[in-house]
Amino acid sequence: MVGIRTRLAITLVALVALTVAAIGVGVYAFVESSLRERMLADARQQADFNLSVLLPAEVPRPTDSTTFAASGLPEAFALRGDVDTIADFGDGNPYTPGRLLGGLNELSPELRAIVGNGELGFAWQTLQDEPVLVVGGRQGGPPDLYFVFSAAAVETALAQLRIGLLAAGLLAVLVALATAGLIARRILRPVDEAVLAARRIAAGDLTARVPEGGRDEFGRWAAEFNRMAGTLESTVGRLESAQQQNRRFVADVSHELRTPLTALVAEASLIEAGMDGLSPDGRRAAELLVADVRRLRTLVDELMEVSRFDADAERVSLEPVDLGRVVATVVAARLPTAAVALPARPVVVDTEPRRLDRILGNLVDNARDHAPGSPVEVSLTRTAAGAVIVVADRGPGVARDDLPHVFDRFYKADPSRTGGSSGLGLAIAAEHAALLGATLRARPRPGGGLIFALTLPVTQPLPGGEGADMAVRDDDRESQPAPGSVT
Amino acid sequence: MDAHILLVEDDPSIREVTALGLRAAGFTVSTAEDGVDGLERWRADRPDLLLLDVMLPRMDGLEVCRAIRHESTIPIVMLTARADTIDVVVGLESGADDYVRKPFEMPELVARVRAALRRRTGGLGPDDANGAEPAISLGDLDIDLAGRTVERDGRDIPLTRTEFDLLVELARHPGQVFTRDVLLDHVWGYDYLGDSRLVDVAVGRLRAKVEPDPSNPALVLTVRGAGYKAARPAA
Repeated sequence: MVGIRTRLAITLVALVALTVAAIGVGVYAFVESSLRERMLADARQQADFNLSVLLPAEVPRPTDSTTFAASGLPEAFALRGDVDTIADFGDGNPYTPGRLLGGLNELSPELRAIVGNGELGFAWQTLQDEPVLVVGGRQGGPPDLYFVFSAAAVETALAQLRIGLLAAGLLAVLVALATAGLIARRILRPVDEAVLAARRIAAGDLTARVPEGGRDEFGRWAAEFNRMAGTLESTVGRLESAQQQNRRFVADVSHELRTPLTALVAEASLIEAGMDGLSPDGRRAAELLVADVRRLRTLVDELMEVSRFDADAERVSLEPVDLGRVVATVVAARLPTAAVALPARPVVVDTEPRRLDRILGNLVDNARDHAPGSPVEVSLTRTAAGAVIVVADRGPGVARDDLPHVFDRFYKADPSRTGGSSGLGLAIAAEHAALLGATLRARPRPGGGLIFALTLPVTQPLPGGEGADMAVRDDDRESQPAPGSVT
Repeated sequence: MDAHILLVEDDPSIREVTALGLRAAGFTVSTAEDGVDGLERWRADRPDLLLLDVMLPRMDGLEVCRAIRHESTIPIVMLTARADTIDVVVGLESGADDYVRKPFEMPELVARVRAALRRRTGGLGPDDANGAEPAISLGDLDIDLAGRTVERDGRDIPLTRTEFDLLVELARHPGQVFTRDVLLDHVWGYDYLGDSRLVDVAVGRLRAKVEPDPSNPALVLTVRGAGYKAARPAA
């Protein structure tokens, strides 16, 4: 689809070019014919005079080129006007002035036939590479005289006219192009403004409007556009405030739950410590109570965590962290059976250990809960993209269509399995990852299972880490973390 | 163990069950239900440790904490409903030694209470036990390990137990870098991923008391990207 601008320009330029071409051709034809006619009339008159007055006056009439040359006729002819004469005596030895030598053979047979019939003939042609007008005739009998007039002046004038017309035509086309551009811009300015406004709205600025004012179709359209944008803005505003109320409600509810939950958790922990004295049924009930209180606690904790994200109340404070150490401690605390692969050299990045702990903890918990009994592998690698921590399980995995939803709140791959997880763990991990400037991705694992990859940006040179850092600042040989620090 | 704990908590259920759990763990417990009441109880009972809720009627936990800090170096553990940065940092800056997030399970709370009390009784390691090292110094500070006092030019500088232990931990090995994790382990008794803000806030409070110019520390130094260390004596 060609744009309006282009179509307008093409149309206007084509119109102008056609008009200019028609005028140019007309002017040229008129000028050319009048120039040639005038010259032809002069030439005819001169030829007539030469044939009917000067030639008969020469007695005896020259019969060959020698006598013709001696007669002084060529000079006499030239006296009336600048003309060269070719005289054909029919004997194969014509009179020809030096610079037109062999010129007789360049004359057209048609012209020579007309002249042979005793009529006056003419032809525009080139002779010895020069534009000329040849007028030929005879008086009674031979010789046939051809008067050669230089047409250089006419041709030069016509050439100049051609150049002039071409230049004028080009100028007209250029002016047409510029005019088309101007007109198009005038016409299309509202369209451009509408494009800008629509783009701003698409980018989320719902206050963008198109300037109104015109009474034309665009003006009406702009008013409608703005009405639509206004509706959109107020609707989105209502939705946002509703969502905000919703979030505040979640935050309030989880906060209100906190006090009774604190009592519950403390009470359950005391009951757990004193279960030995209970009857088997009472003991089982107590176990269930303790487990359910823990589940409730996790849920409320995670709801509060989520509502803090929604309130944008999160502040990140980065510090250098040895990733391998965090990976090892998280796995040791939550899933000691998992296989851990760490690089030989420590990988140290600027990040927040508490959030990293939450992310990895939730990933490992997720692998443990959704792929129970299957081998889980956790690895840390350093790539061009950053430091990558991978948690891979051999569980049932997730259908490809559901993969984009694993980080949704309360998403559960298998609704029939409720387990101990709240369905918020991966959503929370993703939120923390975003706060750390990291990316968290899930993908199916070849051969079954899921792979979660956390890519942390690396902002400082990797090799060395703490040790190298301190070696520069501290000449002490003991510049290692104090003994007993390895947990 | 027969330490006396004052628990200030406004919710009756939480107050009762917490007191129950602490008594079961062998502590003597007295309780108060708001800030003003808590302050009076503290004056009357002179407990060994204070468990202080942040949100309290009449006078909130932070104010109580600040008021007590003017007079005493008693270990104070805050009970906070929120782990928000502001809450925790403000709590620690008002003088608390440690905090426990609500909800908590009793064993967790008891462990934190014991860790805070251990500092008081000087569980600092083998060096203490034989008494071979009754006093050390850091710069112009004289640290009396047995008497748990710090003096500069003969003038006593009152430190809380946490601040004192932190100072001793660093001053024992001048020039050696301690990571936050190691300090959390050695001073606060956390064995895994405590909150490093505890260390930063305590270092800040310690500097405010012992550094001649706290904004330009000369005794307790930050090692960027690693942790903290005590300055080595000038050669």
